[in-house]
Amino acid sequence: MSARIRSDQRKLPSEMRPFYCSSALLSRSDGSVRFKSGDSSVLCSVFGPMEVKIRDEKLDKATVEVVFKAAAGNSTTKERLYERVIRETLEASILTALHPRSAIRITLQVLTDDGGILSTALNAATLALVDAGIALRSLPAGVTCMIDQEGVLLLDPTILELEAARSTHMFVFDNISDGALSNISTGSFSMDEYTSCYDTCFSAVAAVQQLFRSSVEGKVRREHGPEADA
Amino acid sequence: MAPAAAAAAPTPAGNGTSVSAMAVDGDVAAAASQGFSLDPDTFQKIHPAEFHRRFLSQGVRADGRPLQKFRKAKISLGPVSTANGSAMVRLGDTTIICGVKAEVAEPKPAAPRSGFIVPNLDLPPLCSPNYRPGPPSELAQTVSEYMDQVIKSCDLVNPETLCIEPGHAVWVLYVDIVCLNHGGNVVDAAMIALAAALKHTRLPQATYYETESTVRVTDTFTIPLSVKRTLVPVTFGVFDAAVVIADPTAEEEAHLSTTLTYVLDAENGEAAYGVLKSGGSAVPRDMLVACWDDARKRAVDVVAALAEAEQAGNRRPDVAAV
Repeated sequence: MSARIRSDQRKLPSEMRPFYCSSALLSRSDGSVRFKSGDSSVLCSVFGPMEVKIRDEKLDKATVEVVFKAAAGNSTTKERLYERVIRETLEASILTALHPRSAIRITLQVLTDDGGILSTALNAATLALVDAGIALRSLPAGVTCMIDQEGVLLLDPTILELEAARSTHMFVFDNISDGALSNISTGSFSMDEYTSCYDTCFSAVAAVQQLFRSSVEGKVRREHGPEADA
Repeated sequence: MAPAAAAAAPTPAGNGTSVSAMAVDGDVAAAASQGFSLDPDTFQKIHPAEFHRRFLSQGVRADGRPLQKFRKAKISLGPVSTANGSAMVRLGDTTIICGVKAEVAEPKPAAPRSGFIVPNLDLPPLCSPNYRPGPPSELAQTVSEYMDQVIKSCDLVNPETLCIEPGHAVWVLYVDIVCLNHGGNVVDAAMIALAAALKHTRLPQATYYETESTVRVTDTFTIPLSVKRTLVPVTFGVFDAAVVIADPTAEEEAHLSTTLTYVLDAENGEAAYGVLKSGGSAVPRDMLVACWDDARKRAVDVVAALAEAEQAGNRRPDVAAV
């Protein structure tokens, strides 16, 4: 098993890159987080609840806007697809009914892209919403995996590995429901491969959820003192 | 819509005609005691989600279909005689027309032998009241992008077969998909149209003249495009996070908690080229697998519709000649 060395010196196909986050980086936004997963890194800022454009106003809930900016170049339809997936995922988790006739704007800026950028961005957005104090029903977390030409399932692939992918899969799970919130799969794959990707991502998300938990605990301790722990 | 729908439904609990059955729970007692009546049409307008919920709880849908019944795909090949390939697809009220136009372009220096396929879905204001004139809607852009990713990643057409002269000229196939009537499930209709139109595409004979560095093409479209596989999209909607319905209509789409699209292989339902589920309610693992199984049955029907369209196209000499 350990004979296989991945492109970035990871030993196992099912090994994730180290990931971490730092929050409250920007002074003007209500919440901000930088999420790093290996060499992929995304900065997210959240504003809201704030004034909404009349055209987007909803009478019974808040409007969620997502802006996704790639590291370089103009925004293309790829970014629009990412924006839609992130928005539709988070809309289901944010308690939008608490803020009718207002907007919650999530801006994502890719700093470096080394694969799995959509799941990295989604994780940054979830934590930034927590940082902004927006009430959430659950914490969605994303993980990417791929299957290479030999049929080996690689978790959290880098850009170099993705070039040799036969299929790529991005799954989003949260901490309360027992199913996938979002999934984008492309490439050529069988049902068995699909379900094993589902299972691998499902168990990998637990580690991301663990980071979410410790990040929130740290935030509570900073803001309310150490006694808030108990 | 609704009176016909109610009539079409196999009235398990007098859906439609019985007034008290159609009123929302809270209003029922008051409505019944005052002899207040609400016809199905009005009820649908006032409580659209509850309207569908009542139908689905009886295992039937507002248009009379059982939950897992797809609308029949009607495909005709070659409706646009000036295009290199074209197809029209109807799924119930949804009508989509797709044309493939081949143009000569310069390849990218990094891939001197590779041509391009550019899918583009257009949802003009005429197809539904939900779309306005102006830049393409988010749905149109994201579906176009997803189709592009699927086509590229599953290697639908080998881009090197689109080469005319390495480093100088390649074919670029503009696949324009226009929705004429949005009756729900545009994604399926658009991808079936794309698959059918590409299979139907014929390219002219092209010759590259090095001295003038130009490409000359013949007047007739003779060379069939080699398409490696047939993609079959199958979409399900999930209502109230629990009830799975196949092939949702536009009225149902507005009240779904999430949708689920599979792109399967026409010959081998075990193989897939894409799954798309964007947000909404969670879908458990067994539901994902069960829907895949249902999708395989649907794929067989779509393949049959495609084969039928090809036969009909061959019988019409004017279409076959193009």
